[in-house]
Amino acid sequence: MSELVPLEIHGWRAKGKDTMYSRQSIFDYMNGAGEIYRLYGFRELSVRRFVKAGQPDIVLEMFDMGSPEDAFGVLSHGREGQGEDVGIGRDSEYDRGLLFFWKGRFYISIYAVRETSSAKRAVLNIGGIISRAIAVQGEKPKLIDYLPTHGLMEESIRYFHNHLSLNLHYFVADENILYLDDRTKAVLARYQHKGAKTYLLLIQYQTPKKAKAALRNFIRAYIPEAKRTGIAQVENGRWSAATVEHVFVIAVFDASTMAHAGTIIKAAMERLETKGP
Amino acid sequence: MKGSREVITRRDFLKGTACTTLAAAMGFPAELEEKSKGSKRTRVILVRDPDAMDKRGLTDPGVIQRMLDQAVSALLNKEDPLEAWKLLINPTDVVGIKSNEWGPLPTPTEVEQTIKRRILNVGVPEGDMSIDDRGVLRNPIFRRASVLVNACTFRTHHWSGVGGCLKNYIMFVRFPFRYHGDSCANLGAIWKFPKLKGKTRLNVLVVLHPLFHGIGPHHFSSRYTWDYKGILVGTDPVALDAVGLSLLRAKRIEYFGEDRPLSPPAKHIAIADAKYNVGVSDLRRIELVKLGWKKGSLI
Repeated sequence: MSELVPLEIHGWRAKGKDTMYSRQSIFDYMNGAGEIYRLYGFRELSVRRFVKAGQPDIVLEMFDMGSPEDAFGVLSHGREGQGEDVGIGRDSEYDRGLLFFWKGRFYISIYAVRETSSAKRAVLNIGGIISRAIAVQGEKPKLIDYLPTHGLMEESIRYFHNHLSLNLHYFVADENILYLDDRTKAVLARYQHKGAKTYLLLIQYQTPKKAKAALRNFIRAYIPEAKRTGIAQVENGRWSAATVEHVFVIAVFDASTMAHAGTIIKAAMERLETKGP
Repeated sequence: MKGSREVITRRDFLKGTACTTLAAAMGFPAELEEKSKGSKRTRVILVRDPDAMDKRGLTDPGVIQRMLDQAVSALLNKEDPLEAWKLLINPTDVVGIKSNEWGPLPTPTEVEQTIKRRILNVGVPEGDMSIDDRGVLRNPIFRRASVLVNACTFRTHHWSGVGGCLKNYIMFVRFPFRYHGDSCANLGAIWKFPKLKGKTRLNVLVVLHPLFHGIGPHHFSSRYTWDYKGILVGTDPVALDAVGLSLLRAKRIEYFGEDRPLSPPAKHIAIADAKYNVGVSDLRRIELVKLGWKKGSLI
């Protein structure tokens, strides 16, 4: 970070040396919140505090997430889309002194302890400097391209790897019935349909064999009555469905009708056919 | 739907075959009948005052003192707050006040000092009392404490759903990350440690300016806080967290226009009740006494 960001910006000066945290020591900095980063390929966090007399401190954090996919993933974990896109890096949001974005393999957060007009300018300026200094743009997970676009709520997209992450966003089961692990890639998204919200879960496994095994286990544990059809109405009157396509498992939750569940599954399969590997 | 390995799925909650309080915490319909666990009720006091904070968000020490006195008196059915405190603490006790220093929303100094003042009033020497958070394991007063008072601010948390009374004791664990598993589901176990069990005489859950939703690396934006100007007080940490959870749920419904479940769900509250018997999480078995300002109380 010391190479990317000057030690003084708009009169804010770096206080002390940058502090580094590893996968093991991140809890020293942010307690349980560190677990979120460890769900991804988090490698290292650099923290710098800027101070200026009569102004709030500004804290800069650079998370090296190991890959652009995971930098996007950790950003997607908690975003709401309510902040202002200030065009810094990728998928930036600014809101009340807090700026975050991702670029390359980095997830960046810059926040003023209290927002002032000067602090806002400095925060945005620091963000711009870092963004320009990271030469590599980085690509979002390819899996996102396979999501059908009709009715998709963009801000709801969550990219992750494992079972714990899935349950943080949408509780499916206490056991890992979809055989998710650190090597699987998954995306969960909400779809708006006639006032109702339907979830689409798309998982990429390493082999077709693993995908088939995961689908079998999911149907056995979650919708056993759908053994033949892959679709079932659950206790709240909504519909769940699942299928497998090559290395992908596609699952739908909370569809308002059987037809809608089928429509989303079909749309996802078509996307895989046209844009898939 | 239970599979061959007794997997608990979302459908079990929808059917009502899983613990109802846990279901409610996870955002599932809560109208299902829970198996009766007896008639024990626990009391929680909510006190609010419109003058607790000024427009700049600064807390008024005199008002905080008055609020806590009202709450502790009501909790223990005593007119004189000091008499109420004497039911909680003896002059010979060694008292640790477990605070919380989390940057954006620490336990307010005014709350800490009010508690300390009343403990001094009871007759506990200042040298037998300490306020601490991260240093509790090394703090000599906490190491020999006969009594603990738990005081923290209530907020959503992006690993445990919410941070409140139960979670505030994670600093009594040498390696806190060992309790991070499954979204901190087993925080209740900490309260059963021999060195802690039965020592907490009072819990103070600060809801002056709670956080009801979080974004960003630190799960904080002032956009998602509001001036509720309240304090919850009780002897049961689970009940306080359960009431706090219902408050955040109500605020989220008001703000988002829908019942948006916490992500992750704050299941450690129900689990502290059902698995560890630390307290009561079922709102039907909690007597909520509301004092003071009523406007916008939400619960």
